[in-house]
Amino acid sequence: MQFVSYIGASGATWGLVVGDGVVDLGARGPHGSLKAAIAAGDLMDIGAAAQSESPDAALADIAYLPTIPDPEQIFCAGKNYKDHVEEMGFEMPDHLTLFIKANSTLVPHQGQMIRPKVSECLDFEGEICAVIGRETRHVSEAEALDCIAGYTIMVDGSVRDFQKHSVTAGKNFVATGPLGPVMTTADEIPDPSTLHVTTRLNGDVVQDCSANMLIFDIPYIISYLSKITPLQPGDVVATGSPAGSGAGREPLLWMKGGDKLEVEVPRIGTLAVDIVDET
Amino acid sequence: MKFISYKLGADGGETWGLVREDGVVDLGARGPHGTMRDAIAAGDLMSLGEAGMSGDPDTVLPDVTFLPVITNPDKILCAGLNYKDHVTETANTLPAELQLFMRSTNTLVGHCGEMERPKVSDNYDFEGELTAIIGKGGRHISEADALDHVAGYTIFIDGSVRDYQKHSVTAGKNFYKSGPLGPWMVSADEIPDPATMELTTRLNGEVVQHSTTDMLIFSVPYIIAYISRFTPLEPGDVIATGTPSGVGARRNPPLWMKAGDRIEVEFSKIGTLWADVVDE
Repeated sequence: MQFVSYIGASGATWGLVVGDGVVDLGARGPHGSLKAAIAAGDLMDIGAAAQSESPDAALADIAYLPTIPDPEQIFCAGKNYKDHVEEMGFEMPDHLTLFIKANSTLVPHQGQMIRPKVSECLDFEGEICAVIGRETRHVSEAEALDCIAGYTIMVDGSVRDFQKHSVTAGKNFVATGPLGPVMTTADEIPDPSTLHVTTRLNGDVVQDCSANMLIFDIPYIISYLSKITPLQPGDVVATGSPAGSGAGREPLLWMKGGDKLEVEVPRIGTLAVDIVDET
Repeated sequence: MKFISYKLGADGGETWGLVREDGVVDLGARGPHGTMRDAIAAGDLMSLGEAGMSGDPDTVLPDVTFLPVITNPDKILCAGLNYKDHVTETANTLPAELQLFMRSTNTLVGHCGEMERPKVSDNYDFEGELTAIIGKGGRHISEADALDHVAGYTIFIDGSVRDYQKHSVTAGKNFYKSGPLGPWMVSADEIPDPATMELTTRLNGEVVQHSTTDMLIFSVPYIIAYISRFTPLEPGDVIATGTPSGVGARRNPPLWMKAGDRIEVEFSKIGTLWADVVDE
């Protein structure tokens, strides 16, 4: 099943994708958001019950929201694809590297990603994201996938000159983190290492890699995070980006106003945004 | 004026209030704002505080259970390596630019609360820090205007798990319940220049850090201006400004906190924040 957060007739809601439409589950209740349904443990039952409903809107007509508009935490793995580590000239890491993105970075599918005034170095990173399904603390790698509600896609927009000051600065520019278009439930993706990411900038393929190239795989990342903090339902865990980012190219390739960026992950969908200059 | 977030006893509802000499005035109950963050965002904090100066207090300070000063910040941003003496002790060269990391809200602990030493590490370290709470949000704030965006100041213990911090700063700084924030926020009118404060950290009564905020490499106005270049600051955002020398990791032998320890950070013009260390 695929779930989407969007703006419905009476404000922010969420729903089940049925064909090329969406069934408004926020309106049907009892949960007003995808995060709340995940937290209640009701997601799969509510989704199954809605399969036979007729859609309330066509997907083509909705205004998307970030898959989880209000996560409690967004954790991101850095330096986690072998080919990306090599292109950036980093040493192969002994340990997982993490950073946090603030919710103010999030952008919906078909939204606008903002190139900041203070830098020209806005780079793309297409990433597979896990959405946490239940409170997760000290989970083993063997059990980690059971704690995932589903998968979505993130563009981990990175401002490379500020990233040299600190990773957190470069990764937290407002409206640089598109998240969407939908969450595909984990039952449809029993092995996330079989997912494949393709990033296109203005139609040209700039990243193309499989998740089996991850240095630290998704079960490892979830298990590691759960040693540090209780992960919460709806938490977003971005898993890192493969080679091809603009900072690793010669000449450097930065995004600019008017560009169109897409990240496609089969079984999830294609996340597409426009780049606009900060006004 | 001093503002706290608290509950009555261990099980009361969450509220916030004004701390007076003779007790605490429950400003959440008086309305219209249920949290200090909401009052700050509405621009009502100082007028509600003024109104709370008259009449009887609702409770006395010993009866409250402190909550983190801001219980629900939109974001918590922290400066690293920002005291000249701490940078020297960690053998880093002076940084050319501010270094930031973020903390998750669930790292926060209230004053007189319990910091959790994690199961997975013994390397549990203290860092006492001056912390600004944003009053008026904004983007692209100049250094000259930055202090006008501060609602007040409080104290933070940036509990750090040093072995995980070697993996990534974010990992070492985000352990659950490792960040006491309190005891209260002193409104900015009482601290016109945050570079004039004195900090003392005590572990089990012994002084382990002692410095002054004029030792900051990047000042409070600089930090606010810098952050606002990449993201809109929101009312109630928490900005920790870094810690001076004396941390446990740089001692020989290293000094790690363990269950039963009491960690205390005192700032002139603010007060003293303390927490007890317990094992996860």
